[in-house]
Amino acid sequence: MNIRLDNLTVNFDDRFQLDEINWQLDDSQHWVITGANGSGKSALAAILAGAGEHVSGNLEGVPAKVGLVSFEAQAELIERERKKDDADIMDVISEGTPVHEILSEDGRNPELVNQLVTMFKLDTLVDRSFRKLSTGESRKVMLIRALASEPDLLILDEPFDGLDAHTLEMLQQYLATLVETVPMVLVLNRFDEFPDFITHIAYVDHGRLQHQIDRNNSDAYNELYKLLHLKTTDLAVPAADPENDIPRLDPTQPLVRLSSINITYDGHRIIDSLDWTIERNQHWQLSGPNGSGKTGLLSLITGDHPQCYVNDIFVFGFKRGSGESIWQIKQFIGYVSTALQWEYKVGTGLRNVIISGFYDSIGLYTKATDKQKQIADEWLALLGMTDRADTPFNKLSYGDQRLLLIARAMVKHPPLLILDEPCLGLDDMNRQLVLALIEKICAGSETSVLYVNHHPEDQIKGIDNYLALEKK
Amino acid sequence: MSNNYFNTLPLREQLEQLAKCRFMDISEFPDGVEALKGKKMVVIGCGAQGLAQGMNLRDSGCDVSYALREAAIAEKRQSWKNATENGFVVGTYEELIPTADVVLNLTPDKQHTAVVNAVMPLMKEGACLSYSHGFNIVEEGMQIRDDLTVIMVAPKCPGSEVRNEYVRGFGVPTLIAVHEDNDPKGEGLALAKAYAVGTGGHKAGVLMSSFIAEVKSDLMGEQTILCGMLQTGSLLCFDKMVEEGIEPGYASKLIQYGWETITEALKYGGVTNMLDRLSNPAKIKAFDLAEELKVIMRPLYNKHQDDIIDGTFSRVMMEDWANDDVNLLGWRAETAETAFEKTPAGDVEISEQEYFDNGILMVAMVKAGVELAFETMTAAGIIADSAYYESLHETPLIANTIARKKLYEMNATISDTAEYGCYLYNHACLPLLADFMKDIKTDVIGKGLDLEDTGVDNARLIEVNAALRAHPVEAIGTTLRGHMADMKKIV
Repeated sequence: MNIRLDNLTVNFDDRFQLDEINWQLDDSQHWVITGANGSGKSALAAILAGAGEHVSGNLEGVPAKVGLVSFEAQAELIERERKKDDADIMDVISEGTPVHEILSEDGRNPELVNQLVTMFKLDTLVDRSFRKLSTGESRKVMLIRALASEPDLLILDEPFDGLDAHTLEMLQQYLATLVETVPMVLVLNRFDEFPDFITHIAYVDHGRLQHQIDRNNSDAYNELYKLLHLKTTDLAVPAADPENDIPRLDPTQPLVRLSSINITYDGHRIIDSLDWTIERNQHWQLSGPNGSGKTGLLSLITGDHPQCYVNDIFVFGFKRGSGESIWQIKQFIGYVSTALQWEYKVGTGLRNVIISGFYDSIGLYTKATDKQKQIADEWLALLGMTDRADTPFNKLSYGDQRLLLIARAMVKHPPLLILDEPCLGLDDMNRQLVLALIEKICAGSETSVLYVNHHPEDQIKGIDNYLALEKK
Repeated sequence: MSNNYFNTLPLREQLEQLAKCRFMDISEFPDGVEALKGKKMVVIGCGAQGLAQGMNLRDSGCDVSYALREAAIAEKRQSWKNATENGFVVGTYEELIPTADVVLNLTPDKQHTAVVNAVMPLMKEGACLSYSHGFNIVEEGMQIRDDLTVIMVAPKCPGSEVRNEYVRGFGVPTLIAVHEDNDPKGEGLALAKAYAVGTGGHKAGVLMSSFIAEVKSDLMGEQTILCGMLQTGSLLCFDKMVEEGIEPGYASKLIQYGWETITEALKYGGVTNMLDRLSNPAKIKAFDLAEELKVIMRPLYNKHQDDIIDGTFSRVMMEDWANDDVNLLGWRAETAETAFEKTPAGDVEISEQEYFDNGILMVAMVKAGVELAFETMTAAGIIADSAYYESLHETPLIANTIARKKLYEMNATISDTAEYGCYLYNHACLPLLADFMKDIKTDVIGKGLDLEDTGVDNARLIEVNAALRAHPVEAIGTTLRGHMADMKKIV
């Protein structure tokens, strides 16, 4: 078997489309397809079983006998059985098709069926009407049908859902015995359910096959784990610390008002008479070519630029240069940039890095409260890094450091979150991780986001104000 | 010529001033920069230290501007560029000093007399004059107008670090003092504390000291263990290794980076930890060598301390200042001509542990120097806290400078007082150790002990370990590093 999907675009009832899938599977491989709900992972599996309308591209090499277990297939069978009942024009109550008939359809191997029935503990149900089975029981029937069909390719979409622990273990062991004979494609969205025999993982998002990973590539595997975790976790962004409240801002005033701003280096003016106001609850995207002064402009707001004292800047209720300290300004801002990551060269543990966001410091120099530790742990859980709370920050991968610094920036729920090219220097997987985290943060938070970016593919939903700088 | 202020005091007061040094708790700074709010601070000098402090103070909400000499402004010198490019108001002494509530004198020691003489008549009644080093007051006996408050705020790190640590939300350890003869309104301490907060120092630890304790301990530390011992040690160890056939590139590298590596261990865990990095036989060897060195060098340390205390050192140095630095510049040129200085570090890999294993004599020199400087200072009445900071604590800073710049540039980087003292020490110490060096072989410098059996006598090892840990510099070091660890990173 060697299945090839070349630039395959498949339409499903006009509701959903899988775009330009390029994928190869051979019979020595066992795949998991994973992704968030609605990502298209089930649809990708279903293509191999003949579903969908091919719009363009090619699919070849799919074997004749494909065993498929999925909610859709289960629903189809149940629907078929129900129709049999509706179609009955005689005035008798239909008992429906008994389970044993359903199981032996299409000439399945009776011995194997019996063996599996016993294994799934369905012996007492074989004479019952299929329609009367519970969801879990009918799912077992689906599994037996697929396994007993002696397929050349076995596709199992969330096969472990709704199975009790005993059955789950039994099934996993049974699948392991098929490894040498039947290539398998499993759709799963929990990493801890991936069987050991899985050799490759396909990650689907927004109807596209985004990543194909060899399981032996442990770095990629770990990154995928976090991405999936972020995309699928029910955990919300942890709340702010009630004991560590940021002072209230006057609701009638903007967060930031820059009036006729200039930035000059060596007599060369890179920002010239710029006016910019950021109102509360506005999200902004700032763009511009290298050297157009994006970072300089941001550091006027954060107070890191010495020329903030020679410009007309109003931030968070302070006119700059009127006796305020930068720490009074920074308490209202969460900030992430590549430069910050370069600066943040500490061996501090991950929990403390997140807590340092409460103090706007690089490293932690104050004893954290229990509440702060608890909040930091909630963030680590959200990031899927709970087991690394005490790992030194500088031992993390570049992408993980970025995620953690975003959590640090957001930990206090600042009125303004500045993300200065948060995806810069990240590979595709880590970019998606960062964007997933940012989208999670943006949803349902009162923080205004100021996002610097010039890659159209790194858009964040919900940003509707734009400032574009030009190179002077 | 000037009058040595210290020598005008009665013994009782000399001892009292020398013994001043107390580590302040962060809870002693509840008012933040309040005492400086609404006050106009004018910095004189815009080098690394002046710029860093000014930027920190401004970012803490203080009103900071820079007074430069007319020539510096007219010629747009570096100091003018530093200040203007960072958005500060810059003006001449005449323009800014009369408006200042606090004048921060951050010029080099050597210029203090001229600077203070120029600004004092311009200062308004009741203003405050601040120093970062007390040499001008203590050694030169500068008399300050009675209505002016005189304080010292001395961050114990280079300017770049003063700024970087502030930006990351921390600070550097800082020494503060009030010149009691000039505290007419009793506000000196409040101003010094607020100033330390403004530079971020309170987060890293503030030592309350006196002008006298600061000067006498600072001079002693910098010219003996910090700069002098490392310079003498570098020259002796290099020449010995080459003489014994060690490849010069290797020898040069072992020394240039060795001081930094071994004193890193010193910084974290004192002399004990530095020696604990050696094997048992090497540790005993280093201990024995250090004991020998201490006996030979003790009279030299005593002489340096005596000359500092009675003012001989500063008088001789100031004579050289008055003589266009003939001695200083001559000695600096000699340093450039030494074999160590002229041999670049070889392109060889030396592991962190190898610096210890092959540098037993260097470890012994650091141990002997730190302990002697500390013992000599405390014997002279300087309190252990001061003595610790001016010996052990700062040694890694100079070692780091040597790693980056070797000796010539190290000397050009440190203050003129430190450099002058360093040469005096070096000239006296080289001949002093000549006989000792004759018996030195590559087992303690260059190659490491050649042992088939690393066993040692239990009783001897116990003795050595106990002696290491019992030294008073270790007791105070453990306490002070404890304070620092509490404040600095919970890393």
